[in-house]
Amino acid sequence: MNNHEAKQILTLFRPGTADENDPSFDEARQFAKTDPELAQWLEAHCQSYLILRQKFKTIPVPAGLKEQILSERIIHRPSFPSFWRTPLAVAAVVALLLGVVAGIRHVNGPDRYAAYRKRMTETALRSYSMELTSPDPAAVRNFLQSKNAPADFSLPAGLRTASLVGCAATKWQGNPVSMICFKTGRPLGPGDQSDLWLFVTDRKSVTNPPSHDQEAPQFAHVNKAATASWSDGSQVYLLAVVGDETFLRKYLQ
Amino acid sequence: MPGPDIETVVAGYYEPLYRFAISLTRTEADAWDLAQQTFYMWATKGHQLRDPSKVKSWLFTTLYRIFLESRRTSTRFPHSELVETDPDLPVIMPEAARQLDAMQALAALSQVDEVYRAPVSLYYMEDCSYQEIADILGVPIGTVKSRMARGLAQLKVIFADERPGPQPTATST
Repeated sequence: MNNHEAKQILTLFRPGTADENDPSFDEARQFAKTDPELAQWLEAHCQSYLILRQKFKTIPVPAGLKEQILSERIIHRPSFPSFWRTPLAVAAVVALLLGVVAGIRHVNGPDRYAAYRKRMTETALRSYSMELTSPDPAAVRNFLQSKNAPADFSLPAGLRTASLVGCAATKWQGNPVSMICFKTGRPLGPGDQSDLWLFVTDRKSVTNPPSHDQEAPQFAHVNKAATASWSDGSQVYLLAVVGDETFLRKYLQ
Repeated sequence: MPGPDIETVVAGYYEPLYRFAISLTRTEADAWDLAQQTFYMWATKGHQLRDPSKVKSWLFTTLYRIFLESRRTSTRFPHSELVETDPDLPVIMPEAARQLDAMQALAALSQVDEVYRAPVSLYYMEDCSYQEIADILGVPIGTVKSRMARGLAQLKVIFADERPGPQPTATST
């Protein structure tokens, strides 16, 4: 082994880690004890490694990330035999997910509403359980109100043709969001309870919400879902369905 | 034997996972999504993991795979064998390293070629063995070392040029 070869090996040596006991570095480290120039090089390498390691380990993590992850935790759909599913679904496990606690506060670009739309729609598309399962609109509003989530929303006439299934309260950047779940009448996937979702939150809760000036909703696709967004009064509405825009429009009339 | 509950897993790993994520994505928003998506995968599939000691490796592997998929990288980067890097390149001087703050260090790392960035990120940020890094990246250990060496050589040039470049999106605290 020469100085050149030893440097090649020791470039990957990480002091203070398991590399200290890694025999693949032994020979080069021993060689460094006999070569003053290499020893000096290794000392500088180790120092700068430890400094940079400390720098990288202090990259700030956004406030609220942990809370958001925990609030979005999804209850895995149990792979029980099918005859167990209905009782379990009716028993309705705990609430799933939801929401978004603190958000990406420093990213206020024009696409921030898109981030809200994406997050909420993906929430709906994932496996979840509703906090309240009920076809009763009054029960849904009462439940949401009890969670301090928007409960005074107004439904488009078309949406009243869908079957109300239940709701959940979630959050976006710490602000409450109501998630109201419906069934379109199409066959649902195994374990699915709804396939049409309305999210309602205060306009102040999102950046760049749809303008009041826009007569038509904003349409956008998120994965396999079509979405429509609009503002009404102090609230912003997001409607999502698995399917295309044409199918979604029938619920907006 | 039941595995660790999700609160424990999130508390233990969300910070290093986020740091790994932002070293890959360079933007806070994408790193945020990547970290969340990883824990979503854990919530839905983590119960399949039988060995609790593999949780960290599982999470980093999953995050990296999601990242690759999000980049529409349908094929892995081609494997390459260890090649010589220039050992005469000056080592990153400790004085220069001290002058950087975390975001400047991240900005420099973000200039490293993408194929080398993940190995270099794990080299600095995590206490993974080389075998664990190989498992996370899904490449042979020789390839890990080759990419790491090349990435470190690039990083040294970036530091030597004193051009850390545009910083990744700043994070809030």
